[in-house]
Amino acid sequence: MTDSTQYPKIFHIDFEPVGRRVEVPAGLTLLEAAQIAGVELVAICGGSGSCGTCRVRLMQGELSALTLVEESELSREEILSGCRMACQSLPLSDVRVDIPPESLTAPQRLQVEGQGIDVSVDPIVVPADIHVAPPGLYDLRSDVTRLKATLAEQGYPSVTIEQTILTDLSEQLRAQNWSTRLAMRGGILGSEVVGILPLPTDDLRKETGHTSTFLGFAVDVGTTKLAAYLVDLTNGMTLAKAGAMNPQIGYGEDVVSRIAYANEHSDGRCVLQERLVATLNQLVTELCAEVGTSREQIVEAVIVGNTAMHHLFAGLPVRQLGAAPYVPVVSDSLELRARDIGLDLSPAARVYLPPNIAGYVGADHVAMLLAMDVARARHTVVTLDIGTNTEISLVSEGRHLSCSCASGPAFEGAHIHDGMRAAPGAIERVRIMDAIVRIHTIGGLAPVGICGSGILDAIAELLRIGVIDRRGGMMEKHPQTRQHNGKVEFVLANAEASGHGRAVVVTRSDVNTIQLAKGAIRAGVEVLLKDAGKTAADIQEFIVAGAFGTYLDLGSAVRIGMFPDLPIDRFRQVGNAAGTGARQLLISAARRKEAERIAQQVEYIELTTHPAFTEEFYKALMF
Amino acid sequence: MHPTINEIYEGIINGQNAFVQQKVKDALAAGLPPADILNQGMIAAMAEVGKRFEEGEYYVPEMLIAARAMQGGMALLKPHLKQGEIKSPGKVAIGTVKGDLHDIGKNLVAMMLEGAGFEIMDLGTDVTPQKFVEAVRAGVNIIAMSALLTTTMTNMKVTVTALEEAGLRGQVKIMIGGAPVTEAYAKQIGADGYGVDASRAVGVAKALVTA
Repeated sequence: MTDSTQYPKIFHIDFEPVGRRVEVPAGLTLLEAAQIAGVELVAICGGSGSCGTCRVRLMQGELSALTLVEESELSREEILSGCRMACQSLPLSDVRVDIPPESLTAPQRLQVEGQGIDVSVDPIVVPADIHVAPPGLYDLRSDVTRLKATLAEQGYPSVTIEQTILTDLSEQLRAQNWSTRLAMRGGILGSEVVGILPLPTDDLRKETGHTSTFLGFAVDVGTTKLAAYLVDLTNGMTLAKAGAMNPQIGYGEDVVSRIAYANEHSDGRCVLQERLVATLNQLVTELCAEVGTSREQIVEAVIVGNTAMHHLFAGLPVRQLGAAPYVPVVSDSLELRARDIGLDLSPAARVYLPPNIAGYVGADHVAMLLAMDVARARHTVVTLDIGTNTEISLVSEGRHLSCSCASGPAFEGAHIHDGMRAAPGAIERVRIMDAIVRIHTIGGLAPVGICGSGILDAIAELLRIGVIDRRGGMMEKHPQTRQHNGKVEFVLANAEASGHGRAVVVTRSDVNTIQLAKGAIRAGVEVLLKDAGKTAADIQEFIVAGAFGTYLDLGSAVRIGMFPDLPIDRFRQVGNAAGTGARQLLISAARRKEAERIAQQVEYIELTTHPAFTEEFYKALMF
Repeated sequence: MHPTINEIYEGIINGQNAFVQQKVKDALAAGLPPADILNQGMIAAMAEVGKRFEEGEYYVPEMLIAARAMQGGMALLKPHLKQGEIKSPGKVAIGTVKGDLHDIGKNLVAMMLEGAGFEIMDLGTDVTPQKFVEAVRAGVNIIAMSALLTTTMTNMKVTVTALEEAGLRGQVKIMIGGAPVTEAYAKQIGADGYGVDASRAVGVAKALVTA
């Protein structure tokens, strides 16, 4: 029993990169802290220590000593790099913890190093380590003939070897002393060799410094941001991740303007494709360097993106995406040769692109649905990914409906007086307590603008305290409201407190901009519900994916009417689920089949011509 | 102004669709002149809505619901309006160009124009240049085109050319609008007018018919 005058210790836990901070009393595990913080940390066994899926990395602070469970579950490298199991670790001080992407909500956990986990790597490409008998005076068969004979002995009776492999084959076999690792794609009956790699021996590791081999490259190509992952194909582990801005932004902020660019310039499509691929190649270089490997070890890739991104990557025409009825060239899944696209990996590596659903609901939405595993849900689920276009799916009673809404770039800061992207100095949280406006900025710097989650909070708070009325009008009812150029505005940060010497404000026009954006999104949800014969109350799970979706405050989103008023525990914020889906597609043929099944099953609804849309939009504009 | 007509006026400004419809019924039942209901109740209200929009007090959401309330009342009033009674400034054929399905903005412009007394022929969305040509043949004073995508606004130029080729260009005034459209683009394609928003579109249309 503790002394009654001694209060329990409280620790601040900071989960990155999701940016969730929570205060918990001593004695709770990191997993319990994550649950309190609403961070979706995977823990398949529920925290009993038997599955190893709750891996996190300690960045700062002190944790309790390693338990026996951790010592048996984690590898030596992992332990040396600070990896812990969240269910086994208790903070002994304030801590900062990094949650690797694979530990964040992937309902279907794909990892082989488990104890009886019922999910598996179902490889598309497998390594075949062989030793080919060298030729001699009594064996004058060609290198390929002897190679194929060796493979036949190993259970690959029918093998194709394409041109790029042939070019390097003989030299590599001799340089590697006839021992080699081949990347075999396509199963036992009818395999293709897509890579010749050195055997991953310890000597090789010492010599080259390369420790990781047999890799896959998965990318979520967003309109604004790219998220790339390097994955070990043998066990499904994500080894590294990196992000970059989409270089096509220079040719058009949004998808339609890029399509317009392609329409107006004869080499437009090529330029857009080349810029994108150049950045992807840079990401490959970055990821390989981080992990200590070479790009030739990457034998398979998966790219997901919205339909326009998909088409531009694959070199397909986009003109028809820019005009009604907005149909894609192809909606089936595609398998391309990386080198045909200019993607510099193992020379014969393939790139898999999952199916698209419609002109404005693409492969990334399919990847997200795959990761969330909602397509087979028995309950009523809504999933949405908010961006300049917001894609929404509703699954209910065996029907799967999808639509795309033009939410516009308001949540990226566009058309907002002091709007900005989520960058240091952006107001990202707002709470108004009586006369005091409490704000939180990214990086804790002096405020220089407002990002999406910030403007969302600001408007929700102003609505709550009655400065904004139901139709969006702004009243001078608070010490922080003022007149400026004849219009009412609300001051979030005074000039003296801001980072640039001007006040940071919310204007009536900003309210209007957000009304239009949230109206579009809510109308999309309502139209799908109507089509399915359901109401908002029937929604049992409301999943929010995407970068903005991770950071927005659910309470604010519900208050302004962007999301329906459901109990908070029905909502889930799942981060970059498309990226998770892309990685699932990299290591599992079964998941590829599932993605194809999902795309087949979806009914796409074109909102602009749906009879209920206008009415729902008008309703949704009000607060 | 008769109190009931005043109620219609206020109802429209506040976007109260059901209320406006009820009051129009009441006004008609009380034998008030339909032309007065139109001019004092509706057209005046929409002019006020436009004014508030231009002053930055009303924004698109308020305009939309006000316009809708006006439309609700107008639908009940129309059968009672006699031909000679309404001094309509003109007839407008309005539509969103080929390849484009967006209609909220176009509908708002149509409602604002109707609220100013114009007769509206709404061609809908994804409207081919040919359909605009046929509308001119059917007899309209103004063609109003809307586009929301940079990829479809090129069809505005195509429509202007189609009218020229049909020898009808001189018979009609052309005005354009929509998010990606600019004054400069309007000049470039030889349009007669550009509406920066639904409210100012009314002024542009009025100027075009008196020119």
